[in-house]
Order: sequence, then structure tokens, then C-alpha cells
Amino acid sequence: MSTTRTRRSLAAVTILTALILAVAGALALAGCGSDASAGVEASPAASASSGPITVTDGTGVTVTMDQPATRIVSLAPANTEIAYAIGAGDKMVAGTSYDDYPEEAKSLPRTGDFANPNVEKIASFNPDLVLAAGGLQDKLRGKLEDLGMKVYVVDPKTYDGVITDISNLGRLTGFTAQAQQVADTMQKARDDVQAQVASATRPVTFLEIYSKPLMTAGGETFIDDMITLAGGANLGATAGSGFPTFSTEVLFKNDPDVYIADSGSMGEPGDIARRSGFAELTAVKDGHVYVIEDSIIARPGPRLAEGLRELVKMIHPEAATAQ
Amino acid sequence: MTRLARTSIWPGIALSAGVFALCLLVALAFGPASLSLGEVWRFVTTGPVQGDLPNAIFWQIRLPRVLVACLVGAELAVAGVILQDLFLNPLTDPYVTGVSSGAALGATIGIVLHLSNLPWTTVLALVGGFLTLGVVWMAARRRGRIDIFVLLLAGVTISYLASAVVTVLMIRANQDMYAIVYWLMGSFSGRGWQDVVIALVAAPFMIAPLFFAKEMDILLQGEKRALELGVEVERTKRVLLVTAGVLTAIAVSVSGIIGFVGLVVPHIVRLLVGPGHRGLLPVSLLLGASLMGIADLLSRTVIAPNEIPVGVVTTFVGAPLFVYLLRRGRKG
Repeated sequence: MSTTRTRRSLAAVTILTALILAVAGALALAGCGSDASAGVEASPAASASSGPITVTDGTGVTVTMDQPATRIVSLAPANTEIAYAIGAGDKMVAGTSYDDYPEEAKSLPRTGDFANPNVEKIASFNPDLVLAAGGLQDKLRGKLEDLGMKVYVVDPKTYDGVITDISNLGRLTGFTAQAQQVADTMQKARDDVQAQVASATRPVTFLEIYSKPLMTAGGETFIDDMITLAGGANLGATAGSGFPTFSTEVLFKNDPDVYIADSGSMGEPGDIARRSGFAELTAVKDGHVYVIEDSIIARPGPRLAEGLRELVKMIHPEAATAQ
Repeated sequence: MTRLARTSIWPGIALSAGVFALCLLVALAFGPASLSLGEVWRFVTTGPVQGDLPNAIFWQIRLPRVLVACLVGAELAVAGVILQDLFLNPLTDPYVTGVSSGAALGATIGIVLHLSNLPWTTVLALVGGFLTLGVVWMAARRRGRIDIFVLLLAGVTISYLASAVVTVLMIRANQDMYAIVYWLMGSFSGRGWQDVVIALVAAPFMIAPLFFAKEMDILLQGEKRALELGVEVERTKRVLLVTAGVLTAIAVSVSGIIGFVGLVVPHIVRLLVGPGHRGLLPVSLLLGASLMGIADLLSRTVIAPNEIPVGVVTTFVGAPLFVYLLRRGRKG
């Protein structure tokens, strides 16, 4: 009896020890892994030496190319749009599953989708320049650069940041003049809109990114910047940065003058006026409820100029028609 | 033990009804729009008024949301009791039958097809839930009887299968990924009277198990013993399984997948009133509603104007409570 008990407790102790060792081992391995990747990420920055073309990307990293890019892979629809707009479409060798603008981009070979870019697949196109987006994709930089590709991360926080990215990509691809034209067009849209709303009051504007749960564009986003440029006061900016959830009660308490729902990447907003209680909102009563196409306000590319002009029509219909 | 529970259920029910009433009041009185208590009272007495924004905040935003939360909490708790006791497995929650994963798949399809948020996603979730229930049911039926263990295994298998399909859809349509992720996380944001109506459809299914309380008590001793004692085992199982499936499907279709309530509320209530179903079922219903009502209150107020996912709150509120009661129960 007592021997079985001892044996059992011995077994328990053995199992426990094995478990602890396994966990410790896993932790040690994980630790090594992160050290190694940190080292990899540090090296490319150090190797950035002087060359013919040097620009600083959206994450503050210096990108240097000895000559203009000839084979470009884009990892985000916005980047693809920029490449085509500045005339570098012929140099595009691959895009993402979500490239839908311009028309030619749809026939590009795909590297995978936005959230799961595949390094091997990207490398198989043998690009010299990879246009990545911020966030998750930024983490690929080290791997791609080890394989000899240059990586430019497009991660603008403002409308002007997009203009800067477009100019930079113009230089990296050798289409400086055309990129400058695109940048000028965007700059002109910005100046026109600013002139239109210069003396106007700022209507409280709510921009719905998603309805269940209610989400909005907070501060430090180019959407927030565009609402401000278009002469609105972005209610979402009171809820923090990025794309925060937003309390429906607080929305009602602040009773925005203009309600704009984003349509496209997060689904369709449906009939906003028929949502529970929404008929009481000033924006609904006054008919200032609008739906805007996601790709012209949420994609940091040249079509933001179009989005900005749309926004000013929604936020300041009187100023937009007066022009 | 059952005898003891049977003689003393009323104080427990009265107490939990009191707790529920209190939770309901608190959930209605407070919110991020910070209406004063006087105002709330005025809105309650005057009823819904058109053209009055604060009134709309109470009647069109807060009240339906609180009701949906309480209904979903009650539904999950009752489904949890039924399934834990049918499967004789304390780790069972309403989601093991695969119904919730089926509902998630339905909702995901709705989201991916960009059928505008309301009410198609909800409807497809319901359809997905019921279809899964049907499939699991067919798998578990052998010569006119339902094999509980096959049902459990089939449910878990279908769960994995449906989740795998959801993942594939999520990756394929990654533009919709956030919408799907938010749906899967569960939330009561933006729920209106329409959702209250859907959640209320489940009311008869919350009451029905009460009529099987005695059979459920006996089934705790195993199917064989129940047969010997003259229980119509197969009929009881069928009714209860469908009931739990419908409750889960409806709850999930309006709220998404909110964890912990269906798992832990039945255990908490067993510690409080014992395993007798005449007490366990109604008290679980009331405390499930209370816990979800309070969890949603915290979810919408603590970091206002942002919201905390309600599933996070149910776990944070429920886990310490459960551990405390477990320790107390051990001593007693």
C-alpha cells in the first residue's frame, strides 16, 4: 500500500520536473529566438551607406538604392495604387489579393494576402524593392533585406505623410517627375479644401468604421487628419488614437452634426437611420448621414485627394457647392 | 442531497431574484452617457418620447442593450446547466455541442458576403447553429436513441471543423478579418429592440427545462438508473438537447461568442443551492442574467468612451467569484 503511494508520488514528482524543464526549455528557446531576430533587424540599418538614392520611410528607416527599382512587389493595395499612379506600373511584378485599383493591377501575380505575406513567395518574384505596410508587415523587413531586397514601409499618419511617401517612391523608382505631379494634385486638393472651409465653423463629425461594435477613426490616423482638413471636428479623436471602439451612448450624448459611415472593407453599414434610436440624432434628422467608399479614405494612396473632396462635400455641403 | 435542495429552493430563488432586480437597476441607472438617476426615473415613468435625445439614449440604446445582455446571460447559464448534467461533465459549456461554432460559421459567411450588418448576419448565425445541431444529432442517433458520448465527440469535432472553415474564410477575405474577429469576441454594442425580440424567442426554452427538473435530477445517477426508475430517458434527453441547442444558437446569434458565463454560472449556483434542478435551473437563469448584465455594464462604462470586450469582463468578474466560492464550498 505504502509502496504504491511512494511510487505514485515519485511518478508525480518526475512528471512535474519534466514539465518544469520543458517549460523552462521552451522559454529559453523563445528568448534565443527573439535575440536572434533583434540582431537581424539591427544589421540592415547599420549597413545603410551612401548611395545615389536615399529616402526615409514611414517608420523612420533610411532606404538606399544604388539605382532606381526595376522589379517592385507591393504588399498592400494602397502601395500598388501609388506605384501605378506615379507611372511605375510596368515595374510591378507582384501585388496582393486585394489589389483592385487601377484595373491593370487586378491582373498582377499575387504574393498572398495583406495579413499573411509569404516571404518565399515574395522572394520568388526576385524584386529589388518591396513596398510594405506598417504594423505586422514591418516585422518582415529583416527577412526580406537578408534576401537582398530593399523594403520601404508606407505607414503615414497624416495626409501630408502620404504625399511624402509618394514623392519618396518616385525617387526610389526613378519616376520623380510623375510622382511630383501626383503629389501636386494631392497638394492642390488639400489647398482647395482648406480655402473652402477656412472661415467655416467646425461641425462635429463622426466617422463610423464599423457598427458592431461601433468603431471609429481616432487621433493619429490620416482619416482623422482628413476630417480636420475638411473642416470637421472628429468626435472619434476624443476616444484615443488608432481605430477605437466607441460607446453608442456617448455618440448620442455628443449628437454629431454629420455622420459618415465607411463602406467596403468592414462590410456595409446598412440603413443607418433605421438603427435603434438613430432617428433622434441631429445628423439623421438633418439628412447629414453619408456613406463613403472605404478605398478613398482608408487607403493611404493618391485617391485620398478624391476622398478629401468627398469629405468636404459631406461636412461642408454649403462651401463645396459655393465653389 | 436532492431532498435537501428540494425543500429549500424558495429562499434561493427569492434571493437570486433580488440580486437580479438589483443588477438590472444598476445596469439601467449607469452608463457612459451619465444620465442622472432623476432623469432615468423620469424616462421610466414617461415612457419613450420622440424628439428627446436623452430619452432615446435610455429607451433605444441602453434599455434594449441591457435586456439583450441579461437574456443572453440567462440563456447561456440554463444551456450550461442542461449540458453539464446531461454529459455528466463539469467542463462542459454551451459551446461544446458545436452549435456556437456553426453559428459563428453562419455569421462569418454573412460578414464575408457583405450582407449588411443587420439582420442577415444574425439570421445566418441562427441557421448555422441549427444546422450544426441537426448534424450532431444525426451523428449521435443510433437505433432510435441518442448516444450522449458520441454527441459530445461529434459536437467537438464539428466545432473544430467549423472553426477551421471560419479561419480559412478569415484568411481568404482578410479585409473582413476584423469584422469576423469582433463578432467572434462577442459584444452587445449597438444591439437594439430587434435583438431583444430575437433573444426573447428563447424564453419558452428557458422555462421548458423546469418541467423536467425531476428527470434531470434522476439522470444525474446515470441513464441506466434513470431507466430503472421509470424515467423516459430518450424523450427527456431529446427535449433537453434541443432546448440547450436552441438556447445556445439564439444567444450566440445576437451576441457572438461570450465565454465563461455558461461554464461557471451553473457551478456557482450548485455551490449555492445544491444540484437539485428545481432550484439550480431558475437560480442559474437569474444569476446568469445578473452576471451578464453587470459584465456588460462594466464593459461599456469602465474605459468609456471605449468599450472592453464583454467576454473579458465576464471572465474577470466570474473567475475570482468562482474561486472564492470553490474555496468556501470546500471548507463547508
